[in-house]
Amino acid sequence: MKKSYRRRRIIRGIALNMTAVIIGLAFSFPFLWMILSSLKLNKDVLAYPVNFLPPTWNWQSYVNVFTAFPSFNFPRFILNSVFVTVCAILLCLFLSATAGYGFSKYRFRGNALLFTIVLSTVMISFEAIVVPLFIFVRSLGMQNSYWGLIIPEGLSAFGVFMMRQFFYALPNDYLESARMDGANEYLIFARIALPMARTALLALVIFHAQYVWNMLLWPMILISSPDMRVLPQGIALFKGGYNTPYPEQLAACVISCLPLVLLYLFFSKYFIKGVAMTGIKG
Amino acid sequence: MRASGYSVTALQRHGYVFVAPTLILFSVFLIYPMLSAFDLSLFDWNLISAKRFVGLKNFRLMLQDPMVVNSYVRTLSFCALTVIATNVLAFVFALMLQSNLAKAKNFLQSLIFLPVVLSLVAVGVVWELMFQSTGLISMAVRSIFGFSPAWLTDTRAAPYAMVIIATWKSVGFYMIMYIAGLLDIPETYYEAARIDGAGFWRQLTRITVPSLRNTFVLTIVSSIIFSFGQFAIQYVITKGGPSHSTEILALLIYRQGFELYKFGYSSALSVLFFMTLLVFSVIQLKLMRAGE
Repeated sequence: MKKSYRRRRIIRGIALNMTAVIIGLAFSFPFLWMILSSLKLNKDVLAYPVNFLPPTWNWQSYVNVFTAFPSFNFPRFILNSVFVTVCAILLCLFLSATAGYGFSKYRFRGNALLFTIVLSTVMISFEAIVVPLFIFVRSLGMQNSYWGLIIPEGLSAFGVFMMRQFFYALPNDYLESARMDGANEYLIFARIALPMARTALLALVIFHAQYVWNMLLWPMILISSPDMRVLPQGIALFKGGYNTPYPEQLAACVISCLPLVLLYLFFSKYFIKGVAMTGIKG
Repeated sequence: MRASGYSVTALQRHGYVFVAPTLILFSVFLIYPMLSAFDLSLFDWNLISAKRFVGLKNFRLMLQDPMVVNSYVRTLSFCALTVIATNVLAFVFALMLQSNLAKAKNFLQSLIFLPVVLSLVAVGVVWELMFQSTGLISMAVRSIFGFSPAWLTDTRAAPYAMVIIATWKSVGFYMIMYIAGLLDIPETYYEAARIDGAGFWRQLTRITVPSLRNTFVLTIVSSIIFSFGQFAIQYVITKGGPSHSTEILALLIYRQGFELYKFGYSSALSVLFFMTLLVFSVIQLKLMRAGE
């Protein structure tokens, strides 16, 4: 009786783990396939029968993507993407931390109402406002500018929500004792509250990086000057071109995935914490 | 206790300073554009000639436009299939990885989460290759079932190809949310259930699912909002084709506005988009309240 139970448990354990491994491999496979295909020759990418490994390793594609296409300045696209992402994240951190702190630590009139308004903007996605936002941003003279990308992409109702949850859970005692010592409110925020929020802020960085780095719709609309394009836009337009070479296109894809994959590998703990925080009950 | 130091109103006013930057930028760059979408939808405008007030004409046209009706139905079905597939898989994977029998949880979790961090455009490029007639997926499907649909050129198959990609991309994200929810359930519930002799299914339906009620609502609603606004996958792979079978709403808004320069009409579509999400969100709030 006991023995057969144990055997069943072992069999179930093996079945479960094998299934999990197969699922895990299946989910990560397309990325591997992206890398492998980027190292094939153009004729081998879609060759029949399928070549799993590149018959000839074509490392040249990673050089070509930077040099062989004068109308697609990928180094510039990468710089644009990095700059926009970094600035949008900084903006997002600043807004989320200050507003999250303000909403959680001060009981001013209209707090609940204003917070509800901010939170309800979760529903206002780019798709719903692209036309008026474009018209407005253009009227500010921000078409084809970094600011036009950075400001709208730096706004995150989720970030405010997350930081509010975090500061709400932070005990007031620390702040109170600093107040007793006569520190002013902004110093308390900058010197005491903010350093304690490091983990939450890092989670937000990783979370928002993914959103901004991969943004396609807004840059497609705002940016028409080739020099101002960001990386996803560059790849999407490159792909739409006539007779695009697959390996180079895939090399650009791998390059565009690498920063976040690396960020994820190093900080997966925070990444997962960030996702889990979306589930925190308010 | 919490309220003790908080009686001074002057002190509380600092709160306004802290929330002001967010309120200003959100109002200017999110709320104002949203409101002006309603306004713009009442005009004919191509950004160059003068704006012309046309009342509700854009909405009337929209309701009769077979492209809009098609796109709306396509969006709803894409959204429904993606949300169901994503949440079912995410929940099942979460259960698997949280099981006591599972080994190397973190590693497997990372593998399933990997697609979440990949760039949507990049992902579109590689999936398009795999879905080609000599691509990997078509070959694999053919070798198993003897035939393979023309994933990207058959109007019956292409919408499903989009659902597969969108699901694959986001399952990891919701799986983590479910895992976080599962970790919140006190182990004592399960111990008590085991003492009462409850098996796996009973524990699942009596403890796990009811305890995750809020997690379910949150994941389902956020996956609705996310998949409803999907743009990149369709834009990169099919451009809405074949014969508009994958032309989801975000793509249509983009087309009408920035390819055909019908900004009023495009705004009317945005209003439709927003109102649909608003309805979903109201339902969400109702469900959340009912759960409390």
